[in-house]
Amino acid sequence: MTDYFAQTAVLMAGLWPKLVAGFLITLELTAAATPLALLFGLLLLAPRMDRRAYIRAPAIGFIELMRNTPLLVQIYLVYFGLPLLGFYPSEFVCGVAGISLQHGAFLAETYRGAIESVDRGQWDAANAIGMNEHKTFRHVILPQALMKILGPLGNQVIVLAKDTSLVSAIGMMDLTMTGKMAIERSAASAEVFVAVAFFYLLLTTALGGTARAVEHRVAGRY
Amino acid sequence: MLTVLISNFPYLMRGAVVTLCLAAVVVMFGTLLGTGLGILATSSSRTVRGMITVYIFVLRGVPVLVVMFLGYYAFPALGLRLNAYVAVGLAQIVYVGAFTAEIVRSAIMSVHPGQTAAAKSLGMRRGVILHQVVLPQAAKIAVPPLLNNALIAIKQTSYASVVGAWELTYAAREVVERTLASFQIFIGVMAIYFVICYPLSLLARWYEKRLTIAS
Repeated sequence: MTDYFAQTAVLMAGLWPKLVAGFLITLELTAAATPLALLFGLLLLAPRMDRRAYIRAPAIGFIELMRNTPLLVQIYLVYFGLPLLGFYPSEFVCGVAGISLQHGAFLAETYRGAIESVDRGQWDAANAIGMNEHKTFRHVILPQALMKILGPLGNQVIVLAKDTSLVSAIGMMDLTMTGKMAIERSAASAEVFVAVAFFYLLLTTALGGTARAVEHRVAGRY
Repeated sequence: MLTVLISNFPYLMRGAVVTLCLAAVVVMFGTLLGTGLGILATSSSRTVRGMITVYIFVLRGVPVLVVMFLGYYAFPALGLRLNAYVAVGLAQIVYVGAFTAEIVRSAIMSVHPGQTAAAKSLGMRRGVILHQVVLPQAAKIAVPPLLNNALIAIKQTSYASVVGAWELTYAAREVVERTLASFQIFIGVMAIYFVICYPLSLLARWYEKRLTIAS
């Protein structure tokens, strides 16, 4: 038994710096893709909610295509497709682009769901007291939608952080790939798994905690 | 332009069949496992509740790919030579089970406690209350998130290709390596996934809308 602990300690001591390096790449991917996905979702929202069908239709088509196909294939499309067009972006850029595309589509639907869940009567009431459409949206609808959006938004960011693991499929040494290599070399799969899971749980619980704290603060303001 | 896609279409369709089989097994057993654990998670035993809470917390906070790598390498390390599909399938079932358990647990918790109290006052036993009163109401709430969960599980089967199991995405990569026609093939494969997933997506949305109107 003491042998086992000694061996595991040696393994972990050697593995730790590599896992930290992999974790940093996972953090960088999450930090780069989260704001891009949030922004891309907003950019998709305007055409998605447009009254004109010919503007709405392509937005719906794109969003549904992104939501109903695997992220891995989307990343492959970016990674293996762009070189044919003469672009040679790095694995990092391809990963971030693929993740932002899919999560942007999911987020656009989240935004829309929150806006549409605000009761129609709110628009009518604002209209009745003489507010224009812009003011109504800014001062009446948006604050209410914001309250409803924060929960799902936090969940989406957690999913995004986990989805960064897919860049290991295009050869990046992120946390997942580092763990995979370590398992292949040491055959101590359970121990390495615990170490890798520890880092991912650190990230996802931190994100979940942040989301809840923001939700709490915003709830206090309105 | 499209000749590459057309000539390789039969090969990709064989991959799609494997994807469908893998997805069917994962969704079925993952949902069964998760439903069982979700019901147990509302039991009165603190140990059982604690164990299931840890299971849900760990698996929901970790990427499925990591669990799949664990499944793929852990069994041989234990001396069990499993075929790649079994290893990947088991890993995905365990993963999907955690998400399902959380959905079922929160659906049961969202049934008003007055329902259980009323059933108790009528003299119904615990098992009967669960079976006749709580679960029928919880099932209604759980269906849309379970359908979305199944949708995610189907898309996740594509990650099996990273671990080395041959299915639709693996087949696509093979064809792209041979033909270099990455755009046509990957867009074609996205279309195949879309055809599989979109009906389920619509069903989930339709059911959700029906529930909101009903309430």
